[in-house]
Amino acid sequence: MLNSYLLLSASLFCIGLYGALSKKNAVIVLLSIELMLNAANVNIIAFSKYGINPSLTGHVFSLFSMTVAAAEVAVGIAILIMLYRNRGISDVTKMDVLKK
Amino acid sequence: MDTRLFAADLLDMLPELTLFIAIIIISLLDLFWPKNASKKGIGVLTLIALIVSAGFLIYQRIHLDGVISLLNDSYLVYHYGILFKLIVLLGVSLIVMMSFGAIRDKDIPHIGEYYVLLMPAALGAMIMASSADIITLFIGLELLSISSYILVALRKHHTKSNEAAFKYIVLGSIASAFILYGMSFLYGMGGSTNLFQIGATLQSLESSFHPMIYVSFFLLLVGFGFKLAAAPFHTWAPEVYSAAPTPVVSFLAVISKAAMLIFMFMFLPVYFVPLDPVQNLTIYSDVVLTLHVVAAISMIVGNIVALMQKNVKRLLAFSSIANAGYFLVVLSTDRPGELVYYLVAYLLMTIGIFAVVTALENSAEHQDISIFSGLYFTAPVTAVMTVILLLSLAGIPLTMGFLGKFFILLGVIQVKTYWLAAIMIVSSVISFYYYFRIIRLMFMRSHSEHTTIKVPVTTMIVIAICVVATIFFAFFPQYMLSFIEWT
Repeated sequence: MLNSYLLLSASLFCIGLYGALSKKNAVIVLLSIELMLNAANVNIIAFSKYGINPSLTGHVFSLFSMTVAAAEVAVGIAILIMLYRNRGISDVTKMDVLKK
Repeated sequence: MDTRLFAADLLDMLPELTLFIAIIIISLLDLFWPKNASKKGIGVLTLIALIVSAGFLIYQRIHLDGVISLLNDSYLVYHYGILFKLIVLLGVSLIVMMSFGAIRDKDIPHIGEYYVLLMPAALGAMIMASSADIITLFIGLELLSISSYILVALRKHHTKSNEAAFKYIVLGSIASAFILYGMSFLYGMGGSTNLFQIGATLQSLESSFHPMIYVSFFLLLVGFGFKLAAAPFHTWAPEVYSAAPTPVVSFLAVISKAAMLIFMFMFLPVYFVPLDPVQNLTIYSDVVLTLHVVAAISMIVGNIVALMQKNVKRLLAFSSIANAGYFLVVLSTDRPGELVYYLVAYLLMTIGIFAVVTALENSAEHQDISIFSGLYFTAPVTAVMTVILLLSLAGIPLTMGFLGKFFILLGVIQVKTYWLAAIMIVSSVISFYYYFRIIRLMFMRSHSEHTTIKVPVTTMIVIAICVVATIFFAFFPQYMLSFIEWT
């Protein structure tokens, strides 16, 4: 049982990482990051039920990490809105002024 | 093993509580602050809160007897934790002082928020320094990270700054996700979020679970490497450093890095436990080897790429990447005393040099390395102090930077990792070239760009504190070392 959950979370993590690194739209990038954080949550919950030493702390941990992920993405969206107001773009490939 | 928190236990958390209450009060005060009054008052209040908190810490240090453990070991008050917290508070106080003269209204529309946000970031670092539990460590890390994302983004109307902030938050969140994913494996194997219990359980695991220990370590390493700006995870650093306000850059270079070192200092012992000596498993040596490789890459990449930089802040970014390498070397040798000494040295010289950069950059309105040219003829005192700071960064004898590097080198030679010692020496020699290029520029009259340079008084005080301490603790390292070792 544990293995299938671990596989699920590993694939979620990889999809998230792929999306965060390759997608053009900044909102999708933030979404993919959320996917990565949630993959870790799936992992924690699976371990707290089917792990070698099951314990309740995992549930508490996942609650904390969900809250943190929400705060993180809120700040991310705020920064994106600021960027959109100043430059009118949400395409990450066009964010290249720093390279010049 | 008491899992309850009593009112009397709050006394042990007094330094953190002070900051926490100050954050609430000062952020509310900021809202009601008179429109035409200077926001520097908020900065002064922040400075007072930081100093009061440091005062409580020193009181705690004097009366410390063993280790105080709260909430089932998730919150520890112990010897090195207090030292790390004092370092963080010293760094943030210097940065606040530097900001008085450096942050201008046209740069940051909401200066009050800038000062207020430095406090939760410091609080996050302090929480990390005193927790031995995965959950509290993660919360502390995120408190620090999210505050620093906002700090980088504070120059609202500056497109470069916006872009840097977005890149920083995307890459920073990916690193957090890596850390969380790595922690989840550690929790799964240990069955507890407490680092001591995890460490004890890992030793008795069957060997079929050992690959998972490696998985968790490498996932954590990616996150650590990113937040520490160690190569090959360093690419965000030059861009963010060049676009963020300079005091914030010094915050990222010093406090974020220090907090991450504390984090690793708490975390790595979990992997340092010997696994089943009968089967001769080598996870300990693998962990150390990986740290050494990352350290070596950081030192080489940081110092060589810095040679080609024309932007001063980018140059300092690469110098901080190289320093991340030195820090990783100390961590792998597991010598907390040397770590604290070099951390203080790094803090003083980096904050000092960034204070100089803020003053020059504000009067020249650009960040090219030529802002240093002819400095000796326009502001001789500042120039001489800058030379001392640069010599310390380069690691020339009679400075703290030299002694710190020397201690690290001795540690490496003691564990017989000669290849790493060789890389350290060679890369330090390479670094002389770009530090001395700045010194040479300062003494050339012909290219002088400024007619006069006004260094604000507070900035001057910060530079002077850094220079005096750098020299004092180089001549009398025994004072600091005995304070570090004092029990």
